[in-house]
Amino acid sequence: MINFTHFPVIAVMGLFLCAFLVEIFGAKNKYIRNTIALVAAFGAFALIAALIKPVFVDGNVISYWMGNWTPVGGYAIGIGYEIDALNLFFALLVVTTVLLSGIYSVKYMERDHHLGHYYTLYLMLSGSVLGLVLTGDIFNMFVMIEIMTFASVALTAFRNNKLGALEGAFKYLIIGSVGSSLTLSGIALLYAQCHTLNMSQLSAALATGLSPTTILAFALMFAGFGVKSYIVPFHAPAADAYMAAPTSVSMLFSGMVNKAGVYGMIRLTYVIFRAMDLSSVQLLLVTLGTVTMFIGVTMALAQHNFKRLLAFHSISQIGYVITAIGLGTALGLSSGIFHAMNHTLFKGLLFLTAGAVLYATGTCDLDRLGGLSKRMPKTTICFLIGAFSISGLPPFNGFASKWMIYQSTFAKATETGNFGYAFATIVALVVSVMTLASFIKVTQAVFFGQLPENLKEVREVPLLMRIPMWIMSALCILSGVFYNFVAKYLLTPATNAAFNVTNYIDKMMGEGYAAANGITETAIGFSPLDLWNPVLWLILFAIVLISVCIVILTGEKERGRTLVKTDADPEDGKYATFFGGEASTHSHVGGSDLFWGFKHDFKGYFKFIQGMHSGVVNDYALWVVVATALITVFMFIFVR
Amino acid sequence: MFKKVIAKSMAKSPWIYHVNTGSCNGCDIELVAVLTPRYDAERFGFKLAGTPRHADIVVVSGPITSQSKERLIRTLEQVPEPKCVVSIGSCPRSCNVFKGSYSVEGPLENFTHVDVSIAGCTPKPEAIIEGLYKAAEILAEKREAMNK
Amino acid sequence: MEIITTIFTNAFYVLVFPGLLFVAIVGLLLAGIDRKVLARMQKRVGPPLIQPFYDFFKLMGKETIIPHAANRRVFLAAPVVGFVSLVVMMLFIPIFGFSPLSTNADLIILLYLLTIPAVALIVGGSASGSPYAGIGISREMVTMMAYELPLVIVLLTVARKVGGSTLCFSLSEISLFQQAEGSLITNWSLIPAAIAMLLVIPAEVGTQPFDVAEAETEICEGPLVEYSGAPLAIFKLNTAIKMFIMTALFTVLFFGGIDTGFIALNALVLVAICAVLTVICMTLIHAICARLKIEHLFKFYWTVVTVLAAISLILVWLGL
Repeated sequence: MINFTHFPVIAVMGLFLCAFLVEIFGAKNKYIRNTIALVAAFGAFALIAALIKPVFVDGNVISYWMGNWTPVGGYAIGIGYEIDALNLFFALLVVTTVLLSGIYSVKYMERDHHLGHYYTLYLMLSGSVLGLVLTGDIFNMFVMIEIMTFASVALTAFRNNKLGALEGAFKYLIIGSVGSSLTLSGIALLYAQCHTLNMSQLSAALATGLSPTTILAFALMFAGFGVKSYIVPFHAPAADAYMAAPTSVSMLFSGMVNKAGVYGMIRLTYVIFRAMDLSSVQLLLVTLGTVTMFIGVTMALAQHNFKRLLAFHSISQIGYVITAIGLGTALGLSSGIFHAMNHTLFKGLLFLTAGAVLYATGTCDLDRLGGLSKRMPKTTICFLIGAFSISGLPPFNGFASKWMIYQSTFAKATETGNFGYAFATIVALVVSVMTLASFIKVTQAVFFGQLPENLKEVREVPLLMRIPMWIMSALCILSGVFYNFVAKYLLTPATNAAFNVTNYIDKMMGEGYAAANGITETAIGFSPLDLWNPVLWLILFAIVLISVCIVILTGEKERGRTLVKTDADPEDGKYATFFGGEASTHSHVGGSDLFWGFKHDFKGYFKFIQGMHSGVVNDYALWVVVATALITVFMFIFVR
Repeated sequence: MFKKVIAKSMAKSPWIYHVNTGSCNGCDIELVAVLTPRYDAERFGFKLAGTPRHADIVVVSGPITSQSKERLIRTLEQVPEPKCVVSIGSCPRSCNVFKGSYSVEGPLENFTHVDVSIAGCTPKPEAIIEGLYKAAEILAEKREAMNK
Repeated sequence: MEIITTIFTNAFYVLVFPGLLFVAIVGLLLAGIDRKVLARMQKRVGPPLIQPFYDFFKLMGKETIIPHAANRRVFLAAPVVGFVSLVVMMLFIPIFGFSPLSTNADLIILLYLLTIPAVALIVGGSASGSPYAGIGISREMVTMMAYELPLVIVLLTVARKVGGSTLCFSLSEISLFQQAEGSLITNWSLIPAAIAMLLVIPAEVGTQPFDVAEAETEICEGPLVEYSGAPLAIFKLNTAIKMFIMTALFTVLFFGGIDTGFIALNALVLVAICAVLTVICMTLIHAICARLKIEHLFKFYWTVVTVLAAISLILVWLGL
């Protein structure tokens, strides 16, 4: 019998330890360096994956006290780790992202210098995010947030010879620090009020109701985690940071760093403050989420840089997640975390393809690329899978989670009779089409269309970079097709865990602790919906596809020669692009030319919103402060 | 059976792509007149296509000017098989009054095989319809020849 | 023995009725009716009713040219993917209560499947590498963004009307509801939504005046510019099938109360209603309107049509 309780802490410590080992032993030798980093990443993955069975299948909650400092007299003194299904769900996302990013980094980063520093920071970032989602102690969480912020800042500035790296890092530093300070102030207030830092004990202590002090703490921490998950209006530094960072790190940012913020938000609202049955908090989260997804996607439509466009899509997709978790229903929360997971998968995949394009061509500027599908066919396929996933085309995973989000928002609207939630559904559906539009723009500008003269010699990226892309693509398809399986074994336990606060407190603080403090909620028996069966659709799709192909192929013989030439002569004018009779020249419709009509009709809005994103960090800091003030006022007025 | 259906359809649905190679515009208006309610060539399935890739019949009007020669040849190349070339008016046949001009390189036969040539300056719409109809029948024959 | 019967009936559903063969034939027939009626409206004789069949078979017999700039696989796969998704979609639209393969055809799934043919056209056009296609796909995408908003609101309106305070996204439930309570078109609060839906159909299918994406006189048929032969035939077929599917969807949403008791008769009634709808919302508008500019199209859908749909949604929400 293996004792699973030590696994989480070993995973976190292992990552931190290897971060230093890399610098000590691997600064000169690249093989040692890569080995240490990959072993650490794989070790963390294996240790966390080993917890799937005890936590998800058997339904245990693992609690671990550092130094075996168990609670004395009902007060938690030591730092505790508590892993329930919700933690583990996010931890799995973290370790998967870390592992794939590690494999990708080996080739992707080989042209950079001082890779010892890179891997140190990379492992620090990974360890801190993993620690953040696994910990049961709110101050420990803050420490991890700090490590995460500073590792992120340093990694953003890693390619500091490139334009925008230092600028992005600076913005990230300022806004990130403001966010951390907000969180810290909230924690300090909570500590003063409740005399504890343990999350389960805090939850129990806050059961008696909120005082003005705790409401202020709630508002500050809410804003703090808002900054970490980059919801509007805290989103501004994300775009610069994601664009400037090396792509393997951008993937970490969108795959796990902002998921850590989402996780913190869920923990804060569902478990510590148990505020999700308040319609005011629901309204706040849904409003913020809806605004986030709309502003994110419209800003993405206006971008000219591949990675910056992806960054704004990260913001937009987090808007979906926040909207869904803000509904406060079991279906809403499960769709939210499902979308968080899918976002990790498809956005990671898209960042990897962006990295592949950057690696192969040296630029991410949509106006200077084109026609790469002829030179990089495998990357193109991966990109299309990612783009269809994020746009929510069936049968990919984005469809399943978005569909659950529509279902849950509209169900909420019909149940409560509140028209606002139906509005959220409509916005979500329209944003989904706009997402498709902006990925069509990337498809046309980067992969299809005509190949510029200077990119004729571009080569497909090496195998070691393609492997993570294939894995991500496979996961995107599998979690979409077998979504019932995902819902049953991952989402349902995680959702139930978030609602089952009693169990969370009792496992940490001892049986009966929750009841003694007046928390009597019992587990909810949420079970996933079984409405859409992608396998049936796929089978039908396959049957029709096969029959169409048979008809076409037999028809080919029957019809006589159809003359599909495969090895056409490149000089033959017959196979040249039609230019109204003119000779073929390079004429590529780039990204910025697309969607002219749309932009024309919304030019007032675009002018306003692009003016708002001034790039001045003072403005962004002002947004954060104003938004925090507004949230605080809102909470004081409406949260009871 | 399939082959017969295709050959029959070939004659019933010819799509036209019109190239003006320096015409005085007289024949062009007459070609458009063919599609108007009075003559209505669409009852035979004729339709103007937007690109040579969709076309079955390429209609050429005008003496071939040296500016338009290359463009004409390129466009003709891009039409998928089976295809027909129809010339409208006297110009592509004989260069008409433009014969001998420094900028005229016609007649059309020098550059491509012309299946149907509709004479007149300008030909009447009835004549154009008859010529196009003949071209459609030639298309079906060409299609059947491809089967062998 | 039973298994063989099941396989046989299911294969019949998928391949003959209401699947592959049925949609293809009815779709092309509707396209023929559209052309014939349009010609009659312009005092022309017009092509024969089966002209789209001739066009289809002719294109099947033509040479397929794949240009150098094109990505061969995507270029050839795009039309087939669009066609298959249309056929699969039809299997889930109930024909007055007869829905052979599933009873939980979800409105949102249909909404997304409906985007796949458009995406196939866009990706295929993009893969052809032509600059005309580049402009065409951008217009197609803007058109899609334009009609998607009112379409979403119409679907939610119907869902709210049928479901009441519970959630109902199931088409067959909508159909059953109407057979019990009478067709939704008889409900005055849904008439604005029905008009909005009628205006969405031509943009979705891409007929004039909403054919900015394929404007053959300015951008040489846009995404289709490099297509020839069999792939082009399938794209033309897709457009025709889309006509049928959109009008059938309208019929299910607003005329679902009709039931003659026989499947064959029901199917005939469906085709007849679809033909009438085609004439009303495509041919009539085609005959009297010139092509819009893309920004006017977008503005039209996000103002007039959206407001119409929103009026219905608000009325329904108020319980009228």
